[in-house]
Amino acid sequence: MLIKLHEISKIYTVGAEEVPAVRSISLSVPEREYLAIMGPSGSGKSTLMNIIGCLDTPSSGSYVLKEREVSRLDDDELAEIRSSEIGFVFQTFNLLPRMTTFQNVELPLIYGHAPRAERADRVWQVLDAVGLRERANHRPNELSGGQRQRVAIARALINGPSIILADEPTGNLDSNTGEEIMQVFGKLNRAGNTIILVTHEQYIAEHAKRIVKLRDGMVASDSAS
Amino acid sequence: MEFGETLKSSFRTLWSHKLRSALTMLGIVIGTGALVAVMSLVAGLNAAVAAQFQSVGTDIVSVSKYPWVQMGDTEEYRNRADITEEDAEAVELLDSVGLVAPNIHTRRNVTHEGSNVRGTLITGTTPEYETIDNFSVREGRFITEFDVERRRSAAVLGTDVARELFEFTDPLEKKVRIGGHSFTVVGLLEEKGDILGSSLDDLVIVPFSTFEKLFGHRRSVVIDCQPAPGMPMDRTVEDIRQIMRIRRKVPRGEPDDFAVNTQDDLASFYRQITGALYMAMLGIVALSLLVGGIGVMNVMLVSVAERTREIGVRKAIGARRFDITSQFLVESIFLTCLGGIIGILGGSGIGLLVRRLTPLPAAVTPVAVALAVAFALVTGLLFGVYPASRAGRLNPIEALRYE
Repeated sequence: MLIKLHEISKIYTVGAEEVPAVRSISLSVPEREYLAIMGPSGSGKSTLMNIIGCLDTPSSGSYVLKEREVSRLDDDELAEIRSSEIGFVFQTFNLLPRMTTFQNVELPLIYGHAPRAERADRVWQVLDAVGLRERANHRPNELSGGQRQRVAIARALINGPSIILADEPTGNLDSNTGEEIMQVFGKLNRAGNTIILVTHEQYIAEHAKRIVKLRDGMVASDSAS
Repeated sequence: MEFGETLKSSFRTLWSHKLRSALTMLGIVIGTGALVAVMSLVAGLNAAVAAQFQSVGTDIVSVSKYPWVQMGDTEEYRNRADITEEDAEAVELLDSVGLVAPNIHTRRNVTHEGSNVRGTLITGTTPEYETIDNFSVREGRFITEFDVERRRSAAVLGTDVARELFEFTDPLEKKVRIGGHSFTVVGLLEEKGDILGSSLDDLVIVPFSTFEKLFGHRRSVVIDCQPAPGMPMDRTVEDIRQIMRIRRKVPRGEPDDFAVNTQDDLASFYRQITGALYMAMLGIVALSLLVGGIGVMNVMLVSVAERTREIGVRKAIGARRFDITSQFLVESIFLTCLGGIIGILGGSGIGLLVRRLTPLPAAVTPVAVALAVAFALVTGLLFGVYPASRAGRLNPIEALRYE
C-alpha cells in the first residue's frame, strides 16, 4: 500500500473554539491508483490534501507513506518528503514568474540536490513528456493557460514522485484545455504514476478510477468511477 | 540548494527591481564611501606629517617665544620678551644639552642679475644647524665657524632659490643680493620637498653674525638643540625650562612664558586632530550604515511579503527552511556588498581627486577597502537575518493561499 491513513483528524483552533476540519478519516491508496477526492467547500478536502501532500500534519491519527510514518515529522523532514515523494499541481499553476519554463521545471531538482550534470537531461525528458520542449526558454507570461499547467505538471514529475497531487488542476482553464490536461493525467497514470485529484466537478472526477466523496470532514462514499 | 543557484536567483530578483535595489544601496554606498574617502585622507595626512617630522630632525629640542602648536588664548603671547643670544649661550652650558644652534629669521627678496625671488625665508644661524635641523649639502659647503666669526657674506641656497636664480649656470661662487646686500653662494642644499603645499626649499641660510649685522638684531632668537649623547629627551627639556625660567625671572607657580618644542608636541597635536577626524568618521559611517541597514531590512521585509506565495510554492516543491532563509540572506548581503563596492569606488575616487587637486598625498589603503567590505557584509547579514528567518518560517499552506 502506498498511502495508509488511519483515523486522521485535523482540528483548527479559531479563537477559543476548536473546529474539526477532518474527522477520523481512514483511507488506503495503492500504487498506480488514480483517485479523485470530491466534496463541497468546507468538506475538508483541502485539509486532507494538505496532509497527504505533507504540507501539514494531522492533529491525531497515523499516516504511513511508503511504509514510513510521516504524521509527526518536523518542517524540514516534511520538506524532504515533499521533495522526493510528492509532485504538486495547483489550480493557479504557481509558476515562478521570473523564471523560464526550463528553470521552473528544474527547481525541484535543485532543492533535491540532484547533480548538475543530470539535471538538464531530466528536464528535457519531462518537457518532452508534456510536449513543451520548444517552450523551454519562455517565461510563464508568454505561455497559454494550458501550457502553464503542463509546465506545472512537468515540474511535479521531475523528481519522480510517488504521488502527483493535483488541486483543481482545470479550475482556471476553459473546458477544452481542461480536457487536454486531463488527458495528460490519464497518460501519466497509464505510465504508472499514482495520481490524486482534488476537485468539486463531477465530470473531472470521472476521469479517475476511484472517487472518494467527503462531507463534513468525513468520507461519505468511496467507490469506483 | 547550491550556493551558485542561490546567488543567481538573488541577482534575478534584485535586477527585476532595479530602482528599489539602487535606492536601498544608497545608504551603504554613502557609508562605505565616506569610510574609504576619510581613511585615504588620513593616510595622506599621515604621509605628510611623517615627511614633516623627517624634515625637521627627530631629536630636536627647539626653544622659542611661541609654541609650534598654538591653541586657546594666544593674547598672552604678545607680551612675551624676546629670547636672546645670551639665552642660547646659557642653554649650551647645560650638561644635558649637546649641539646648539641659535637661529633667526626674516623674509627678503633675493636677486641675481636679472632674476629675483620674492620674500624668501632668510635664516641666520651657526654650523650646528645643519645636523640639528637635518639639512644636507648637495654641493659646496654649509656655513662654517669661520663664516660666523668673520661675519662673512656667505650664503647656502635652498633648491627653489637656486633653480629660480640660476637656470643655466652653476650658482657656486656666484654673487646674489639678499635684501640689497651682496652675498657669495658657498653651498647648495639637498631638496626637502613640500609639506601641505608649502615648499621647504625656498630658503637661504647665512651666518648668524652676518644676519644680525645686516638685518638687525632686535629679533627673538630660536634655540635649536639636541640632547647630549645618551641623555633622555625629558631631562634635557626640563633642564632647559629651568634655566630659561631663571633667566627670564618667571615667578614660581606661573606658567612658562616661552616654549620648549619637541617632536612629541607635534605628534600629540597630530594625534588629537586625527583622533577627532577618526571619531567623526566613525560617527558618519556608523550612522549611515545604520540608516542603510534599516533601509535594507525594510525592503527585505517588503520583498518577503510580496513573495509570500512564491515562498509557499518553493516550499511545496521541496525547499527547506534553510533554502528559503539563505536565499533572502544572500539577497540582502548581495545588496549591501554591491553598495559597498560602489562606495569603495566612489570613496577611492574622492581620495584620488584630492591627491590630484591638493597637496595632500591621499592614498587608498588596503585596510580601508577591507574595512568597507567588512562593514557592508556585516550590515547585510545583521539587517537581513530577521526578514530572511521570517521568510524561512512561513507556513507553506498559508503562504500558498496568500493573494
